[in-house]
Amino acid sequence: MTPDYYLILAAVLFTIGAVGVLVRRNAIVVFMCVELMLNAANLTLVTFARINGSLDGQIMAFFVMVVAAAEVVIGLAIIMSIFRSRRSASVDDANLLKY
Amino acid sequence: MDSITYAPATGALSSMWLLVAIPALSATVLLLLGRRADKWGHWLGVASVLASFVLGVTYFLQLRGIDGTGNKSLSVDLFEFIHIGDLNVSVGLLFDPLTAVFVLLITGVGFLIHLYAVGYMSHDPGRRRFFAYFNLFVAAMLLLVLGDNYVMLYAGWEGVGLASYLLISFWSDRPAAATAGKKAFLINRVGDVGFALAIFLMFATFGTTNYADVFNGVLASEAGQTVSAGVLLAMGLLLLLGACGKSGQFPLQTWLPDAMEGPTPVSALIHAATMVTAGVYMIARSQVIFNANETAQTVVVSIGALTLLIGCVIGCAKDGIKRVLAYSTVSQIGYMFLAVGLGGGAYALGIIHLLAHGFFKAGLFLGAGSVMHGMKDQEDIRRFGGLWKYMRITWATFGLGYLAIIGIPPLSGFFTKDPIILAAFNREGWTGWLFGSAALLGAGLTAFYMTRLFVLTFHGRPRWQKEGEGGAHAASATDAHGAHADAHGAAIARTEDGRDIQHPHESPWIMTVPLMLLAVGSVAAGWLMSTSVVDWLTPVFGEHEEGHAHLTHTQVTIATVAVTVLGVALGYLLFRGGTSLVEQPARTHLVRAARNNLYADRFNELVFELPGRLLTRALVWVDNRGVDGIVNGLAAAFGGGSGRLRRLQTGYVRTYALSILSGAFLIVAALLAVRLG
Amino acid sequence: MNDIQLPAIDYAALLPMLIVFGAACVGILVEAFAPRGWRFVIQVSLTIGGLVAGLVAIIVNRDLEITTIGGAVTVDGPGLFLQGAIIILGIVSLGLIAERRLERGGPFVAEAAHAANSDGDKRQEREPGATEVFPLTLFAIAGMMLFCVSGDLLTMFVALEVFSLPLYLLCGLARRRRLISQEAALKYFLLGAFASAFFLYGVALLYGYAGTVSLTGIREGVLQSEQSGILLAAGLALLAIGLLFKAAAVPFHVWTPDVYQGAPTPVTALMAACTKAAAFGGLLRVFNVAFETTAWDWQPVLATVAILTMVVGSILAVAQTDIKRLLAYSSVANAGYLLVGVVSLNGAVGSSLFYLIAYGFSVLGAFAMVTLVRDSEGEATHLSRWAGLGKGSPLFSALFTFLMLGFAGIPLTSGFTSKFALFSSAWDSDQSVLVIVGVLSSVVLAFPYLKVVVLLWLNPPGEETPTVSVPSMLTRAVIFAGVAVTFVLGVAPSFLLDIVADAGPFLAK
Repeated sequence: MTPDYYLILAAVLFTIGAVGVLVRRNAIVVFMCVELMLNAANLTLVTFARINGSLDGQIMAFFVMVVAAAEVVIGLAIIMSIFRSRRSASVDDANLLKY
Repeated sequence: MDSITYAPATGALSSMWLLVAIPALSATVLLLLGRRADKWGHWLGVASVLASFVLGVTYFLQLRGIDGTGNKSLSVDLFEFIHIGDLNVSVGLLFDPLTAVFVLLITGVGFLIHLYAVGYMSHDPGRRRFFAYFNLFVAAMLLLVLGDNYVMLYAGWEGVGLASYLLISFWSDRPAAATAGKKAFLINRVGDVGFALAIFLMFATFGTTNYADVFNGVLASEAGQTVSAGVLLAMGLLLLLGACGKSGQFPLQTWLPDAMEGPTPVSALIHAATMVTAGVYMIARSQVIFNANETAQTVVVSIGALTLLIGCVIGCAKDGIKRVLAYSTVSQIGYMFLAVGLGGGAYALGIIHLLAHGFFKAGLFLGAGSVMHGMKDQEDIRRFGGLWKYMRITWATFGLGYLAIIGIPPLSGFFTKDPIILAAFNREGWTGWLFGSAALLGAGLTAFYMTRLFVLTFHGRPRWQKEGEGGAHAASATDAHGAHADAHGAAIARTEDGRDIQHPHESPWIMTVPLMLLAVGSVAAGWLMSTSVVDWLTPVFGEHEEGHAHLTHTQVTIATVAVTVLGVALGYLLFRGGTSLVEQPARTHLVRAARNNLYADRFNELVFELPGRLLTRALVWVDNRGVDGIVNGLAAAFGGGSGRLRRLQTGYVRTYALSILSGAFLIVAALLAVRLG
Repeated sequence: MNDIQLPAIDYAALLPMLIVFGAACVGILVEAFAPRGWRFVIQVSLTIGGLVAGLVAIIVNRDLEITTIGGAVTVDGPGLFLQGAIIILGIVSLGLIAERRLERGGPFVAEAAHAANSDGDKRQEREPGATEVFPLTLFAIAGMMLFCVSGDLLTMFVALEVFSLPLYLLCGLARRRRLISQEAALKYFLLGAFASAFFLYGVALLYGYAGTVSLTGIREGVLQSEQSGILLAAGLALLAIGLLFKAAAVPFHVWTPDVYQGAPTPVTALMAACTKAAAFGGLLRVFNVAFETTAWDWQPVLATVAILTMVVGSILAVAQTDIKRLLAYSSVANAGYLLVGVVSLNGAVGSSLFYLIAYGFSVLGAFAMVTLVRDSEGEATHLSRWAGLGKGSPLFSALFTFLMLGFAGIPLTSGFTSKFALFSSAWDSDQSVLVIVGVLSSVVLAFPYLKVVVLLWLNPPGEETPTVSVPSMLTRAVIFAGVAVTFVLGVAPSFLLDIVADAGPFLAK
């Protein structure tokens, strides 16, 4: 099995994530779609590490996971606080700032 | 021409930065002290300009003291301003004969206008602020003429634009004033874009923006063809765009008449001593660039000729006293552009016309202000008439200014306008006849509309009385205070019966004294300028021999005077009995009274006026709808476009994400296309 | 795994960042262990002390040019200058963050966990604000510093997140108008995470293309790689998107007005000055070091983005009715001018750096003045409320007018010198079209500024004109710094221009 398929899978995952950000309303789901995009990038990194025969890409994937974990902490905190104030996690309800 | 060098300034001249610093400091003090300075602030403003004037005279005398062979261009380098890569701009000042005459004009006439404004603005609560802006205006204009490189010129240029914006919209509770200020700023910015790009082009071509280095670069390239003609043409045209914006030349002239919405001293300052002269100064200063490129010169001449005709024709159609004067400025600056575009010896002619114009236009504007001051801010000339009895000083000084602008010998306009018309005729080829005729026609039209203005304002039947109040009342008013310049008496009369428009009165001394001084200037300056000032400017513009000639001086003089007299006669005959264009339904019995005249004038109207009026209407329409329309349309388009684009910012995160995603898609696609395509 | 060796670490080169990170970590400990009453004083002195010490370390390092930790960090002239700029701007904006006189307890909420408008929220209104903001600010500043000297794309990604995450939180901590503050935080967070996913995917593709993520490695890889050019082009594009998002370039600017308006004004000021400097530091480094040799490919695309940014930013600024949104769009347009500097490559690095400092100080001053105009509801940012302020508060209005004129690029302000320097170097690098668009858009952009000036001085005051509060020395110092630098750089900019000229080009080896 050529590694190219992994690259294509990653591209598909990335696209699904990006489209998910556009079409989902729940802030948590939107955020999970972003996480999906990050993991698609991880998959690409690991695949290229395999193709290039170097470990760099795999190590980078670990870095990305750590950063993504930190991002989750921040993100959930923000989403929680806005949910408590508004009783809604829909991103379409947060619409006071415009024009 | 030899290469251009500036000698370092010594002695008193090394402190020439004081010229700019004094009014700038005064403006700062006035702005920072706030209301604490309300009582005496205006006198500080006047004193600072006077101090600059005295300094200017000192420097002028020192420059004159340098004997014939010495370098009369003195520069002083203050400090390094911007230094990045190859670009090096220093704050440097230059005092040469050209700068000297501008400094004297700006500070001299500026001082008189400041003095006048003390009286004119005496009842305005914002007088201190007004003088702060006024000083700022003078300081910016002085910086403009004193800089020794284009960046300094640009700095002054922007400063002037800013100060004019503040002054034009000074009475911002009038919506018209706010609009006019915005318009002035907008159109000036259009010109500034041209100027800014010219500076970048200069920097890219010559690596410097210093006058001396740029000019020497142009001269060297003329010899060695190192710089393409296209670049020089572009430089010239971009500079010209800037000059057109600042000087109210076609197609950017429309802000100038609207600028009348500001207080009258502002109009006088803008039109006579500062601002509009900046464009002429810039072209005269950049003469080397324009000399190197004949096409650019032809464009300057054409714009000058076109603008002077547009100004004259529209001047015939306007009824506001300041508006007519504004269009006359447009057309007189057209003469100056014509002159500086002709090149050679005509540069000096443009400058002396500018100086003479500075005097008589300041006088005319301040006179108009004095009329309005006495008529409770009425400015429609159809509602004046017979005022000479009530404000004799204004009448006399305005009359001298009027005779000067139409060029009756021996007043100043004659000595300065006449040579320009001659020079235009003597341009080589058929264009000489074209531009010469335009200039000559302009002289006739100027005489016509200025006569109309003068006669309708000061002579004929008074048209400002209310129904039922006849000449008797007016006569008693004359006895009371008409002949004396007694503002106090007038003020008492005003408070007694409260019908102030029935009691036109002369303005206080602080307003009439500048009027008289300016009138003296209008009378005396012309002859002086046409000889000594031209010689004085020789070091800047070089010696020029009379070459090619279509017509002799005498022929042109006779033609000009004949056309002028014709214009005056026509204007007098048509308007001596008041105006036939009565459009105010309120004054019905006056309308009836005017009817007789109307019948008598009908023949005149059909034969002389109708074609003229149609042409005028067409031009006014183009002016209002065309040029103005484009400017207003652009402003509206930006506003409307902005309002509509704003709606795209919906506030929904998902819309924003869509924007980012589509942007990402486009960028990826574009890069792939570039890479693989 | 014997072949993995610990790379050499030059601690001296990392010292400025270590100091600031260290101070941030100590700040966290202070939050945990210091008594509540003491925290504010300790945190302020710790933060300012840490930043000043970092600045001193940068000045000591000023001639350093080195690549360390296995290529992860490249300390060079422009990098050090940017670090210094971020620290100085950070110190200045700290004056706004620490201000406690304008509003009792400061501009930040005491306990963000309380739901907005709940009983608990009302109870905490009089309590002093959270002191966590200080370590958060320090982390953000340290992240920005690292971002400007990153030698490889992974470090850059980590630094990007390190400075973004605290900013997301800071946006949501406003004491007043908590709903829009939280909304700003949510929008900034979601869109920021979205953009950094693009950035990361771009990094992955470039890794596939060049076999390395170090900037110099990519520079060499461009010449040698046998991989498809699609990877390079797509990777470069996605990477650029992540960076352009932070820089607020059109069409990735959409978050800017909402977040600038909703965030607490001190945080907005921090973002407008420091984040802008960091984002452009990153952009300049990436394009000058990694992609200089492929400039022909990306220059037209980036030039288009620059034109769009200048035009859209300036046109949209015209119709704004809120001063913070107006400044946000002006920040977008200024991003466009800075992009002109990026497109011009090496020729304009110096003037871009100068621009960042000049713009940063002006914008800090402007936001500092925005915090002063208040009514009972907090800051009154709607422009109609500002009408006629010149009558009652002439000094305030005069200073604000000066800053507005500076933004409009009137000579004798830094707005003029910085634009002039930037545009003339761009013109010199044959980007004349961009310069023409830039000059035109700055004409349009002068209008909104002028509108504010007219509003201040010439319009009659409205029914309830807000008052201009008297701030403590901190905010006064910020305003003074903003106005003074705007003036000094407008009159005598040469000393700073000499410094940026000495900084030289980015280290590309």
